[in-house]
Amino acid sequence: MSDIGKVRLRIPSSIRPGDVVQVRSLVIHPMERIERDAQGKIVQKNYNYINKVIVTYLGKTVATFDTTQSVAENPFFSFTFKATDPGQLKVQFLDTTGGRYEGTVEIKFS
Amino acid sequence: MTDNHPVTRRAVLGTLGALGVAAAGGGFVAGAPGKAHAQALGQNESVQDAMKRLFGDKPIKDGAAIIKLDLPLIAENGAVVPISVSVDSPMTATSYVKHIYVVADKNRIPIVTRVTLAPEAGRAFMGANIRLGETGDVRAIVEQSDGTLLQVKREVKVTVGGCGG
Amino acid sequence: MKMRCASARPAFSWAALVALSAACAGPVADVPDYTSLPKWTSRAIPEARGDFQALPDGKRAAVRYRGWTTRDFNFRTYAYADPRAEPPIQRVTMPAGVRGDPQKGRVLFLNRAKGPCTGCHLIPGDDVWPAGSVGPDQSIIGDRKLPDQYLYQLIWDPRVVFPNTSMPPWGTIGGLSSEEIVHLVAYLQTLKGPVPPEKDPDRNPFTRRKPVGFGDNLDPTNNPAVLLTDGPEALWTARGPMAKACADCHEGGVARAMRGVATRYPKFVKAYGRVMSVEDLLAVHAPETTGRPLPAESTDNLTLTILVKRASNGLPVNIDTSSVEARAALARGKATFYKRVGERNHTCVDCHTPEKGANKFLGGRLLGDVTDGLTKHFPLWRTDRGEVWGMRKRFQWCMTPLGMNMLAADSIEYAELELYLTTFDNGKPLSVPGIRH
Repeated sequence: MSDIGKVRLRIPSSIRPGDVVQVRSLVIHPMERIERDAQGKIVQKNYNYINKVIVTYLGKTVATFDTTQSVAENPFFSFTFKATDPGQLKVQFLDTTGGRYEGTVEIKFS
Repeated sequence: MTDNHPVTRRAVLGTLGALGVAAAGGGFVAGAPGKAHAQALGQNESVQDAMKRLFGDKPIKDGAAIIKLDLPLIAENGAVVPISVSVDSPMTATSYVKHIYVVADKNRIPIVTRVTLAPEAGRAFMGANIRLGETGDVRAIVEQSDGTLLQVKREVKVTVGGCGG
Repeated sequence: MKMRCASARPAFSWAALVALSAACAGPVADVPDYTSLPKWTSRAIPEARGDFQALPDGKRAAVRYRGWTTRDFNFRTYAYADPRAEPPIQRVTMPAGVRGDPQKGRVLFLNRAKGPCTGCHLIPGDDVWPAGSVGPDQSIIGDRKLPDQYLYQLIWDPRVVFPNTSMPPWGTIGGLSSEEIVHLVAYLQTLKGPVPPEKDPDRNPFTRRKPVGFGDNLDPTNNPAVLLTDGPEALWTARGPMAKACADCHEGGVARAMRGVATRYPKFVKAYGRVMSVEDLLAVHAPETTGRPLPAESTDNLTLTILVKRASNGLPVNIDTSSVEARAALARGKATFYKRVGERNHTCVDCHTPEKGANKFLGGRLLGDVTDGLTKHFPLWRTDRGEVWGMRKRFQWCMTPLGMNMLAADSIEYAELELYLTTFDNGKPLSVPGIRH
């Protein structure tokens, strides 16, 4: 799936200083589930799933999600941050195969 | 909401370095990011074992007064179930929500996610799409900065189709 | 809906007036005519062609999508050339000497490998989740003291009692054995009132809350299909083997060049002598003009279909229903919608019209109403499949519960059925891609 790691972030169209802003994010990822063989035994392999989401604002971590295979495929995550200054919001998604995907958005006030 | 210019980059992983390996009470270690770790958050286990692993014998109070758990009562399918958790908290440096856990009692991997928040988050809030294996309780467990644990839970019925799916 | 009637000659007669009004009667009042249809060779991917492979024992296995059953169903299909009739109605007598076991009957009633009966019928029990409301509630059927023989015949072949029933003839089709039906009858006769008070209104399909859907289908942080088809239009601008791209003839970017186009599909395409959806047309038009194959049900075909249809989002569906070709196709499409097919002997009508099953629960699934318009959000993202489905795959999927072999995705039969369904969307705005369970 060559689309793995495609990210989209959404923020409100108008942000004022001091607003607590809600961010919506989606990342394309299979979030592989446990497979079982014909006998019902778990297939041992390194399943590929996102196990960490790191949200940083102005370089400081404001939220992290430690995630498991119980999170849906093409996972959606939503979180908030307090918009104090203009600057970058970055969301990094890390998976168990060493994949690192990120999306960024510039926070501006209007 | 406005769309914002997603930067879609698939970075080749270098060394990530220490990315906050946090040890929570109960001997849980966040797996090194980028590799499935023997002590990964998600384990095949019963919900009782998962709760014991996360919280040991620490008392968990009823959080109905401050935790708002948003979940459908009936999920059209177990593959994608939207959840959001909102906690009434000042989110100041001295009083904030440190973690929000989501646990699905009937899942083979009951621990769904652990969210770690800084006061700069502004509000104690998380949203995600989760998987549910079957009808069962879903819990939101909140750990406050002073260590207090609170919980709310609700049953979600997972729909089975009539039309083969 | 415009109806263009043949212009009348000035010399009037009553006969002419009657003939005129018959011609203007409406797009689907005509009798279906199957005589002058072209033969169509499928341009779909191998798993979407409705093909079979021969097995060593002389039977066949179906070639279908990964994970779909490979069973060869020996029942009537939608194919226009399919000569089979419905299974003939069977009048039967309940066997004497077989002792009905109500407990076995209840297990059968809930068995998903059989009906399950609970797909359509409610019975008491906290373990009953989810029962449907398509058929009558059976919770106190025992109080009616109906003869065993009557119930036995009803389950074996209800058409004897109710000629236009939606209920499959379980005995006739070999879905339930004689002994199994005896156990079911014994179980039903034990269902007497009073019914215990309902602890949970969602258990009961007559009081269950309706599904809320999956939110804003056009939000790229909600619908993966939007995110997957966003961004640079690589498919539109890529040069094919003939060194041409879509963009070479259709200038200004796909959104501008294709604005309004999808509102008129499906439509009769003269060059191919058949009705075509956007997917059908891409499968022939792309290789012809650019040299690049774009088979039906391929990811690229579906992606390009989404790009083309999105260009008309917000515009009302506006398909032709009045030309001679459209009317002929609609007559056939409507006949397909009403045709009894498959092991279950169902028609689309049984589930998808308000007079029958629409807006009721089939198991846990609320059934869609064709009169609402079910095509304007296709192709859509299937959340429980994690992939995009077009309308044709949705048709092909219906064969699984119906017990019927699927046809090729780009078959004329499916195209004309889709045409009929799309008439209910005329005037309603497109919103592609959709998102559904």
